Amino acid sequence: MAGAHSDPLTHPEVAQGGVLRYIAGFISTTALMGAALVVTLRHDQPYETYLGLVGGLALLALVSQAVLYYGLDISRSQIWKSVALMLTMPLFIITVGLTVWMFQSLDQRTMLMPQTMEQPTLLQ
Amino acid sequence: MQAQLPGPWSPLLGRLTLDQIPYQVPILQWTFAGVVVIGLAVVFCVLYFRKAGYLWREWLTTVDHKKIGVMYIVVGLVMLFRGFVDGLMMRTQQVLANGPNAPGIMGAQHGFLPPYHFDQVYSAHGTIMILFAATPILTGFQNIVVPLQIGARDMAFPYMNALSLWLTTAGAALVMLSLFVGDFSAAGWVGLIPLTELPFSPGTGVDYWMWAIQISSVGTTLNAINMITTIVEMRAPGMSWFRLPVFSWTTLSSNIIALTAFPVLGVALALLGADRYLGAHFFTAGNGGNLMLYTNLFWIWGHPEVYFLILPVFGILSEVVPTFSEKPLFGYVTMVAATFAIAGISWLVWLHHFFTMGAGPDINGFFSVATMLVGIPTGVKVFNWAFTLYRGRIHFSVPMLWALFGLFLLLAGGLTGMMLALPAINYTVHDSVFLVAHFHCMVLLVVAAAFAGVTYWFPKLFGFKLDEGWGKAFFWVFTLGTVITFAAMFALGFEGETRRLDWTFDPAWKPMLIVEEFGIMLYVVSIVCFVIMLAVSIRDRAKTRLAQPWPTARTLEWLTHTPVPFYNFAVTPQVNMRDELAWRREHGLDQAKPDRYEAIHMPSNSALPVIIGALAGVWGFAMIWRIWWLAGLSLAGIIVCVIIRSFDKNEGYYLQPEEIEAMETNLAIGAIIAEQPDRSHSSIPAEAH
Repeated sequence: MAGAHSDPLTHPEVAQGGVLRYIAGFISTTALMGAALVVTLRHDQPYETYLGLVGGLALLALVSQAVLYYGLDISRSQIWKSVALMLTMPLFIITVGLTVWMFQSLDQRTMLMPQTMEQPTLLQ
Repeated sequence: MQAQLPGPWSPLLGRLTLDQIPYQVPILQWTFAGVVVIGLAVVFCVLYFRKAGYLWREWLTTVDHKKIGVMYIVVGLVMLFRGFVDGLMMRTQQVLANGPNAPGIMGAQHGFLPPYHFDQVYSAHGTIMILFAATPILTGFQNIVVPLQIGARDMAFPYMNALSLWLTTAGAALVMLSLFVGDFSAAGWVGLIPLTELPFSPGTGVDYWMWAIQISSVGTTLNAINMITTIVEMRAPGMSWFRLPVFSWTTLSSNIIALTAFPVLGVALALLGADRYLGAHFFTAGNGGNLMLYTNLFWIWGHPEVYFLILPVFGILSEVVPTFSEKPLFGYVTMVAATFAIAGISWLVWLHHFFTMGAGPDINGFFSVATMLVGIPTGVKVFNWAFTLYRGRIHFSVPMLWALFGLFLLLAGGLTGMMLALPAINYTVHDSVFLVAHFHCMVLLVVAAAFAGVTYWFPKLFGFKLDEGWGKAFFWVFTLGTVITFAAMFALGFEGETRRLDWTFDPAWKPMLIVEEFGIMLYVVSIVCFVIMLAVSIRDRAKTRLAQPWPTARTLEWLTHTPVPFYNFAVTPQVNMRDELAWRREHGLDQAKPDRYEAIHMPSNSALPVIIGALAGVWGFAMIWRIWWLAGLSLAGIIVCVIIRSFDKNEGYYLQPEEIEAMETNLAIGAIIAEQPDRSHSSIPAEAH
């Protein structure tokens, strides 16, 4: 408590933010997610292309948020937040990886429909 | 884009019509009458004793972590009671509705609950017990104890702490409101898909369930951020990582789980909301949707959530067992390592909740092995507690009795959990009440630890102990009720009774159903004992007022005065050893007084968290009933509150040294139940800068 800042604007985490960065972060993230929506709605690409495109756009949106919105970098005030974000990566890989493995196996074992009846799903 | 709605909708009231008030249901009429009577009694008492101002200034607008913790526990206990009544209704329905000739009353063909009502009861029971009883109670303990254990003045973000409480309360209020306006979900606490989709649950029950969880889980996530930051940043000088009490370690690990897992639940429910509100197809059987995707997402959160609940419980046991064994905790480092091992493995086991889905032997094998791995660190913990007890001078006080019963439940729940971790056994007993009995052992472990915690830390907050005699009566009746109810439930599982039955068709189950009913009636008696325990303890508080209620306590929270003053420590403690109080006691330093006091910077109370919580509740209600103008208005209100907060220049106040000295001499004026003078305009002393 004794270390409370009397002027929040001088706090290093607040000071590294800026209106232009927020606007740029907002616009770029919205545009990237909008592009992912448009790509999905068009429904005219092979499944693998969708996966690559939407995944790539999601990654760009994440990077855009992290860099522009939250100002994550390796500076002294931000390094631990950047490290914390990186530490969530194993969890991301575990959950998404195991989910993909499980759905692939499930699909092979339970979706024994004729080829013509198949509809594109996210994990086919 | 909006989903096609069955039934009427108007711009003013959305889906809300008079027909949605279930005034024709006798059970709800009685419940409503009870709520009105209790509510009026509370309001009358507040007004009669002229405590409305006190309640507002000292509690509803507080940012003090201890008061927030107490309110979390009160909310949790109220919801625990509501969840228990649901359990009582389920048990009674199943015993009355046994066999083909079982008579029916109140519109039910068998028993007294029609199937649709029974489905809502078990859905509400599970949702409430996990998310609105166990979670707030444990969060309450963490709020009360962690800052004291680490020698902090308060949480890292006191304002956000209050906001977390009121968001959780808003969620709980929505669940309670569903009793009297509309329905609750009839699709289980897990949201059985596709039952939760709009065509199969066209009412507002699923919406109540969905928005109540969404709003409260925002509170839980914010609380997790607060807890982690507090433990990382706010430790007293000398409180190095390996001097941190085990309860604080378990709080840290469980909140890392909460921070990483609750967003997954948020996403799952948001996608379900997109299906229900926008006509999307994330979890539908056709149009590119995938039903199992919901189940998968739900349990990616759901199983870490189990450890989010269990790890703080292990922390409570690790505080109580050494205190009442008069020994330091055996194997501190392995205990910490085991805690984080469990937290890590918690992310690798979720598929054991749906082994029977058909994912194949390699997938099931992986998750089976991962699940069984949890037994290793858990075993380490159990042996550590056993070795702590070994050759200890054991005091069978009430908290210790609860802790020992907790160990018994951990053994019963853990071993049956190992059985269920084997897919071959799981295929045999899945969806049976054997599984229900297993996880009730684990959640009753949470309840046992909660009561251990209540009886252990109650004197710290209020300055007097809870009555031992009635506490033991409460313990034994509750324990007997637990053993009788769930031993019979294990047996019924082996006899083939499946879960969620509104009509128990097999007459051969009757004897065990009667035994279960007898057990649940013992719970009713135990609640009476609990209430008497509280009443007797308050009546006799002068006799049990002790400066040190547990003379063998070891950790830092017992170093400060009892009852704890609202500023926690008059002087920030310097930590020298792991069990600081035990070390100071050993060296004759536990009664040492500081030479002088310095001004303490304290945060000011704020009405904004409770207002935002109320607005969040209104927003949830508006979303449930699709009253768009009200949803927009309440959301705008929340945004305005946040903007007001952003421009708030209130930097708190300083408690002057002479005030601290007075309160250190007369503990009653600094206690958390005492009304404090308005210090918000007190000037900041020059020496404080």
